[in-house]
Amino acid sequence: METRVRPAWIVPLAFLISTQALAADWKLDPAPSRLEYVATFEKTAAPGVFKEFDARLARFEPDKPEGAKLDVTVKITSADMKNGDVNRAIRGPEWFDFAKFPQAEFHAEDIRRVAAGRYLARGVLSLKGAKKELEVPFTWQESGNAATMEGELNVERLQFGIGTGEWANGSTIGLGVRVKFNVRLRKEG
Amino acid sequence: MLANTAEAWGAPAKFFHWTVALLILLQIPLGFAAALWRLSPLKLELFVWHKSTGMLILVLMLARLAWRLANPSPALPPQTPAWERRAAHASHVLLYALAIALPLSGWVINSAAAVPFSVFWLVPLPAIVTPDEHLEDLAKLTHFSLLVALCLVLAVHVGAALRHHLIKRNDILIRMLPGRWRHA
Repeated sequence: METRVRPAWIVPLAFLISTQALAADWKLDPAPSRLEYVATFEKTAAPGVFKEFDARLARFEPDKPEGAKLDVTVKITSADMKNGDVNRAIRGPEWFDFAKFPQAEFHAEDIRRVAAGRYLARGVLSLKGAKKELEVPFTWQESGNAATMEGELNVERLQFGIGTGEWANGSTIGLGVRVKFNVRLRKEG
Repeated sequence: MLANTAEAWGAPAKFFHWTVALLILLQIPLGFAAALWRLSPLKLELFVWHKSTGMLILVLMLARLAWRLANPSPALPPQTPAWERRAAHASHVLLYALAIALPLSGWVINSAAAVPFSVFWLVPLPAIVTPDEHLEDLAKLTHFSLLVALCLVLAVHVGAALRHHLIKRNDILIRMLPGRWRHA
């Protein structure tokens, strides 16, 4: 039996191979990556950072991202707000509750391209025991085996029960928190 | 008269004296309340009031120092002994220095502790030192030591003013009072 590929199959086969080559799996390069947030303390910006987190972007094809999947885990206990008293306070049950909820996760399987190089990942954020749908806009710049993913979004802290009791009133600590990320990814494989 | 003369304080000098006196009187209990209150939104609000008042005192004191240097000061009574003149001069230098150094040391605490702060919730205050926990502890100790020194010098200042008024019966105290009480 002959096993050679018939000429009529070459074009669709080549197309299939090329699209598979474009859709790549990406993993985080932690050293140059930053995940920051800006809270509001007495009407003044109060920056913080999560020093440890991981991100994985599977089957991402920049021109056709629909099949991709974004998975992010954030070690909440790595939060640092540069002030010893604040860092001690945010561990407690009224704020992040490190003991019960040391990790947050974001999973998105709905990733769309909104413009050239601009995307929107719609998924679910699990934080302090609450799960909420969240839209994460990001830009994508790829060169060779490395890519930069950058974006920012607002998170309403009360949706996740962060800052309860007397802190739930947003007058001293604002209710909205700006989350910013600038992460470096490397192609896997 | 705005400017001071050899006999009398002008209105700006009196304004500076009594405004800063009132603010310092508010500032000390405010500082203790803020420092000792349990962690709560009220504690944070007390600190904003304390720090904002401190910055206001600093600005007033710098303006007051410039005004004092640009103006003559009313003379002490001619019979004042030399040691009293030296003591009066030294205590006034100390009062000015402490009223300036206290808010500055507070500013160092806030900067070293990296606490976000806007004066009266309006004007973000830049940091004057980089965040550093050891410096924060040192600045807190300095702030408290300066406060103790201020209280001692204030006691001398008030005691001396009352002595001039009640015992020596001169116009040292009266001449610092606002106009309408001067001849009471």
